[in-house]
Amino acid sequence: MITDEIKKKIRNIVGLENAIDGKEECFGYSYDSSFVPMSPENIPDLVVIPSSTEEVAAVMTIANEYGIPVTPRGTASGRTGGSIPVHGGISLALHRMTKIIEFDEGNMMITVEAGVRTIDVYNFCAERGLFFPPDPASWKYATIGGNVGENAGGMRAVKYGVTSNYVMGLEVVLADGSIINTGGKAIKNVTGYNLTQLFTGSEGTLCVITKALLRLIPMPKARNTLQLMFPSLDDACKTIHKMLMSGLVPAAAELMDKISIQAVARHRKLEISSSIEACVILEIDGETNDDLEEQAKQIQTIASEFNVIEVRIAASQQEIDDIWAIRRGLSSAIGAMTPNRFGEDISVPRNAFPETVGLIRKIAGKYNLTIAVYGHAGDGNIHPSVLCDLSKPGEEKRVHEAIDEIFTAALSVGGTLSGEHGIGITKRPHITKALGEAGVNALKMVKKSFDPKGILNPNKIW
Amino acid sequence: MINTDIKLYFKDVEDIVSQCDRCGTCLTVCPLFGAKDIESSSARGKNNIARGLIQGVVKPSAEVLNIVNFCLLCRTCVDNCPSKVKTDDAMIALRQYFADKDGSPGAKYKALGALMKNRTLVKLSAGTLKVVRRMGMNTMIPHGMAPQEFTRKQYLASFAGPAALGSAAPMSPIKLSDKSKVAYFKGCGMSMMFPDAVEGTLAILRTITKPQIIDNMCCGLPHLAHGLRTDFLDMAKENISLFEESDVIVSDCASCSGTLKHIVAYFADDPVWKERAAAFSQKIMGLSEYLFHVGYKPQQRVDVKMTFHEPCHLGRGQGIKNEPRQILKAAGNFIEMAGSNTCCGGAGSFHMDYPDIAASILAKKRINIENSGAQIVVSECPTCLVQLNKAAAQSGGKFKVMHISQVI
Repeated sequence: MITDEIKKKIRNIVGLENAIDGKEECFGYSYDSSFVPMSPENIPDLVVIPSSTEEVAAVMTIANEYGIPVTPRGTASGRTGGSIPVHGGISLALHRMTKIIEFDEGNMMITVEAGVRTIDVYNFCAERGLFFPPDPASWKYATIGGNVGENAGGMRAVKYGVTSNYVMGLEVVLADGSIINTGGKAIKNVTGYNLTQLFTGSEGTLCVITKALLRLIPMPKARNTLQLMFPSLDDACKTIHKMLMSGLVPAAAELMDKISIQAVARHRKLEISSSIEACVILEIDGETNDDLEEQAKQIQTIASEFNVIEVRIAASQQEIDDIWAIRRGLSSAIGAMTPNRFGEDISVPRNAFPETVGLIRKIAGKYNLTIAVYGHAGDGNIHPSVLCDLSKPGEEKRVHEAIDEIFTAALSVGGTLSGEHGIGITKRPHITKALGEAGVNALKMVKKSFDPKGILNPNKIW
Repeated sequence: MINTDIKLYFKDVEDIVSQCDRCGTCLTVCPLFGAKDIESSSARGKNNIARGLIQGVVKPSAEVLNIVNFCLLCRTCVDNCPSKVKTDDAMIALRQYFADKDGSPGAKYKALGALMKNRTLVKLSAGTLKVVRRMGMNTMIPHGMAPQEFTRKQYLASFAGPAALGSAAPMSPIKLSDKSKVAYFKGCGMSMMFPDAVEGTLAILRTITKPQIIDNMCCGLPHLAHGLRTDFLDMAKENISLFEESDVIVSDCASCSGTLKHIVAYFADDPVWKERAAAFSQKIMGLSEYLFHVGYKPQQRVDVKMTFHEPCHLGRGQGIKNEPRQILKAAGNFIEMAGSNTCCGGAGSFHMDYPDIAASILAKKRINIENSGAQIVVSECPTCLVQLNKAAAQSGGKFKVMHISQVI
């Protein structure tokens, strides 16, 4: 409950229309893109839409004084419930903080407010010849603040790394309303703890990120796309492994299993032979088209050592788009197969990819469920999608048991619970299994020192 | 009886909204979210309030109805959605649910529905608006609902010079076989607000065929969109019967042709009307679609820069995108403007219900029209024409607004 007096104070800061308390309007801030069921308990008491860091700081000061939970939010495209205000309170919607503060070409860095969409960061830099590589699937609508908060990955991670590899510094508002700047433009910087990297991926539990200083790299001049079809998942993985070993690092290496391929084929009315067990889509980049041709030739040679059935090298932009449309359409194609779908995000050491998929197959058999598997093969990030119909009696229980076992399988091969979606609410039950009691306690100690009253995005991660 | 219906509506709605993955793609394209960036404006917000209703997390209330009503039904979200979730259909079904639950869609929509269900009243309104316009009192009618039409005669006088005036329109070289009976479907908005454009359409049709003039009923979209489904079905049946003898039914209103083409879907479970409705829907053609199909050549080419505002119910609603543009390319110096298929904010009665939001959406459209340098913006829907006329007034006469039938 937030009293009228507190609401009045907050409205004095952000303006009357930017602190919304109508139940029906607040309902819109009670869900994200995860499968967390809707609940009246997740509806915030107040949606606050600030326009500046100073407004965020002033709101946090009040929230801290009165012990009101605050859940930061970009565009709620997260997959694990991170932006769901499970304790009500304030949903702090940062999507209006969309200023590009500084483009520093000399140092190849950009400073942006948290609400800038990731694709807008990319486009702004691309127009100036520089490259911001992280490209989570949601980059067209997700905000950079959310991407930093979750340490989002994407398809280009195999060659270019994830969001944290590009975060040089942050401006954040702490729980008590104080504003601090971490990191900076100096490449070498060992002054104090590395709070920049601590806050990156902190899921809104330690601070509210208001600005990010991001590192950029030169834009590759040429790009192309290849599609490879294999008779087995093992062959596909071995091809990727040998490519990486030979220094042929693709900008993206996406792998789909047979269930995924056939789902896309049905959805897009394509004919794909049932002998194909794995499809790999590669993006290669380089300085010149000759570079690309050379790379493509080498990839073809390696793939043919591992029984590749078909190698398609895009010959036009149209063909590039056609090939990527297969990958991009995958999630909806799989989603359309059954009424419900649970998408997971485990991450394993790269060479454990085939083994992990084998374990997932066994789990699917044991629980009599269809599990489509696709992922970023170049970096070991796997997205198993459990397809189900929760209206069938007993199905929900089986699904949750299967998901439990998928997490156990990931941990058993030296992997982890999440590669790029974060823990949020959905993976909380498994955190101790992954980090151990002492490990989770260490997280709690960090949390307590930054947010002693526990108001920032409570009940997340553990 | 009503209760089972409500369950049925919920089933329809559930089938649609359960496909929403809540990803947020629609936030970047929804014109309403662009004008008012809170979650409930967006398609994701609407689909999920529907889910909330179905799951009992949200209770039906006047506030929920407001959210459900606050939708342009423009289908921009549907077009861009990875799962193609039909938010417009879900909102129409929910509006029906509220109307049934409350016993009425509210006095305003009921009055509007009653007016448009009555042929005599539609004609009377058309007559009154004509008088109002002639007396120069049209600016006193709110929401631009009595627009001063820029007529074909004025257009030719302004842009084509005297030579084009007065000369008899040549017959179109293409003729359908004598067996094809082509009928004109006269939309309420067209006849009430744009009589010169109606004349233009008929004149064009007469160069091709001998159009049947049938005293038709309203297409029913205003009723369907605002919880008067029974009225919609009644009128649909009457229209189906009225046009049984025709082979092709041409409408110069994108909303009418779009609605009539979809009538078949509303009779899918009706053994008596199913086949007749299917036959009826198959005969419907939009004006530019028909003209492109028969190879119509514009009666004159005028040295004027023109651009096309693509009505939501034409482009996204019926996939008619290329046809009007091709015809316009032969009629003048066609320029494609930025965001030509973005909703203008008119959307039936939306611009009257939410004038401020509609105005902010329209302002973006006006800037795109001005930037294109076009002297004429052409469209094929009366509500769009009403909106665009407001934009023309705000631009201080930088461009004129015309129905496609007036420039070809």
